[in-house]
Amino acid sequence: MYPVRYEDMVLTKILESKHLFIWPAFLTVLIVSLFPLVYALIVSFQSIRLVPPIPPRFVGLDNYAEIVSSARFWGSITTTAIIVCISVFLQYVIGFTLALTLHHNVRGASLYRVVFLLPMFLAPVCVALIAKMLFHPVLGPVNDLFTIFGSPNISFLTVPPLAIAVLVIVETWQWTPFVVLLMLAGLQGLPSDVFEAARVDNISIWRRFRDITFPMLLPLSIAVIFIRMIEGFKIVDTVFILTGGGPGTSTETLTLFAYNEGFKKFNMGMTSALSFMFLIVVIVFGSVYLAAAQRIVRRYK
Amino acid sequence: MKKLQKLMTLALFPMASVAHAECVPDYSDVTLTVSTQNGPYIASALRTAGDSWEKRTCGTVKIVEFPFGELFPKFVTALSQKTGDFDVIGFIPAWVPDFAAYLSIMPAEMQSGDDWDDIHPVYRERLMSWDGEIKSATMDGDMHMLNYRADLMEDQANKDAFKKKYGYELAAPVTWDQYYDIAEFFTGSKAVDYGTAEAYARGGQQFWYFFSHAASYTNNPNTPGAMFFDPVTMDAQINNAGWLKALEDYKRGLDFNPPGALNNGSGDVRPLYAGGTVAMNIDWADSGVLGASEGSIAGNVRTAVLPGSTTLWNSKSDQWDSFDEPVASPFLAFGGWQLAVPADSTKQEAAWSYVAEVTSPKVSGKAIVTSNTGINPYRFSHYEKLDTWTSVFTEEEAKSYLGAQRASLDSPNVALDLRLPGFFSYTEILEIELSKALAGQVEPQEALNTIAAEWNKLTDEFGREKQLAAYRSAMGLPPLD
Repeated sequence: MYPVRYEDMVLTKILESKHLFIWPAFLTVLIVSLFPLVYALIVSFQSIRLVPPIPPRFVGLDNYAEIVSSARFWGSITTTAIIVCISVFLQYVIGFTLALTLHHNVRGASLYRVVFLLPMFLAPVCVALIAKMLFHPVLGPVNDLFTIFGSPNISFLTVPPLAIAVLVIVETWQWTPFVVLLMLAGLQGLPSDVFEAARVDNISIWRRFRDITFPMLLPLSIAVIFIRMIEGFKIVDTVFILTGGGPGTSTETLTLFAYNEGFKKFNMGMTSALSFMFLIVVIVFGSVYLAAAQRIVRRYK
Repeated sequence: MKKLQKLMTLALFPMASVAHAECVPDYSDVTLTVSTQNGPYIASALRTAGDSWEKRTCGTVKIVEFPFGELFPKFVTALSQKTGDFDVIGFIPAWVPDFAAYLSIMPAEMQSGDDWDDIHPVYRERLMSWDGEIKSATMDGDMHMLNYRADLMEDQANKDAFKKKYGYELAAPVTWDQYYDIAEFFTGSKAVDYGTAEAYARGGQQFWYFFSHAASYTNNPNTPGAMFFDPVTMDAQINNAGWLKALEDYKRGLDFNPPGALNNGSGDVRPLYAGGTVAMNIDWADSGVLGASEGSIAGNVRTAVLPGSTTLWNSKSDQWDSFDEPVASPFLAFGGWQLAVPADSTKQEAAWSYVAEVTSPKVSGKAIVTSNTGINPYRFSHYEKLDTWTSVFTEEEAKSYLGAQRASLDSPNVALDLRLPGFFSYTEILEIELSKALAGQVEPQEALNTIAAEWNKLTDEFGREKQLAAYRSAMGLPPLD
């Protein structure tokens, strides 16, 4: 048997004492981050109403079953998906185009950079209020424009397809700057020697974009679209102000549905279940998107 | 220096004692937290009353404001969790059933005397009472009324043309059929662009407008309290023939409203009338005040009791009951704002003293004629003192405005608003289906059937017996044996 060295003993002591420092921090983080989720999960299996006060009752998967069988839930998923898919697509296309333009230092680029970013800094509530005025059926300038061409007053916010189109326009207007900002940063980080070589070889602008710029920015594009998709699914304030989810529930998004259950009906069990359903929907959409994105990346490799 | 300080202290001591002696009652150590919706409406009246109360009692009033949409969750959470956050809350009567268990009873001395008798009995005995106890005090009277323009309705050319077309005199409508005749007559006329304006937007107080129509067909004097639910079984009545007629009427009105009316809330309806875009509107008292004080129709503002009907649905016999004369069923939409003192407040005596100040004839009498307070008459003295209204109305306008409100309250068939635990759960379903029917996505009967089924489901979930007892109390009916 070898005698235990003093240094080894000290090292063992240090290794043991590290637990004293790590565990409290680890448990605190665990409690702070996981407790609300676990609590919400437990509530989602109960029937709890604050108004009128009804004692909690375990109902198993009833809340989930009711949600899944509700046409309102599937309607809200469809509405959210339509708004997110179309608006994120437009944000990306317009945002990338603007970023490319600004990257090529057009005259007044620094002014445009500031102007293009402005909508992003506005609170969504303010943007919705501005849009409400713009698309007002009698007083709004958009309607004025249409009436110049002999069109009758258009009720933009009370005809479901038009109301959804307005929501898409508002989302696109507000969040395209976010895409511009990130894509511009990506463009400025690309190595210039590749582009110089392409220019020397007399490769056309379109081919330079298709074969160099786009593939090199593909990972960033995927991340930007992913972020916007996740954020887009949380849309609530714009819809609340512009249409209130109406007419009927035709423009009601998932989060607005959950808000109404929670803060109008005070049905806490159902609201918690809806929150988890929202999480599942976002995960499903996110996974489908990432799988599709991976195939595109592989193709470019 | 110290001597000088002592001398000054001695000199000021009697003055301080005198100051305290002037506090009646002395609440110099009391700070009341009073909460209501964001100002200026209601909150500014509470502030003004707070100033006079502070002066009189040496207490302090702190007004805490929240957006209307957040008010109910804030209050219900604070009351049910007994946080003691508020000493006085300002809210609407529809929430009383959810709050009642957590509110203190109004002191007996406030429930007698001239000031008490001065409150109109509809408020005093019906809206302020819950389960036989007074737990809230009305600080604002509210009901739906019909507003119209005198310059259009009294114009001889209009009168002649109207009589020629419809066969009767043009005057303030007393039935809904007359209302739609007048609305049709003025829509697209030379005098004005549109016939009327009502709120149709989901979340824009739409359902109160629908209730105003429905009251005329369902608040049958032969079946008291059967407007919303059967007062014996608690089965929803909203899909009966009376409600269907009301919904068809309400939808028909869209033809005579400005474009985009489906997105109009009550806030949009007011300027449409005050700005002269429409000949009439249905609204709370605000439209009249706005029209007379800031509108382009000043001097021509006239107010009338809501139209009624000669036939009302009898939910017992499942038939229409006919009446010789139109039965007016003025609907107390919203019912005004009320004040209450939570039972968990540690300053209840001072809080009720403050409530007495806000609702006193003197303070409230000033508030009703001060712009942007949002306070409407609810005391006999408010209706009788015409001279106090000269800053807002002409004499003709004041007579018509106050007369219509008083006549609505005095009406033997006045219809009270729905007050039921879980009020918002019921109205949420109603709003969704109503806006679907208005947008033409579903047929009116289908929408009403869905609402009735969902209302019955909610009633079962909340406890049918409990809901029935609450509903009977709200409708002023005695408990079932």
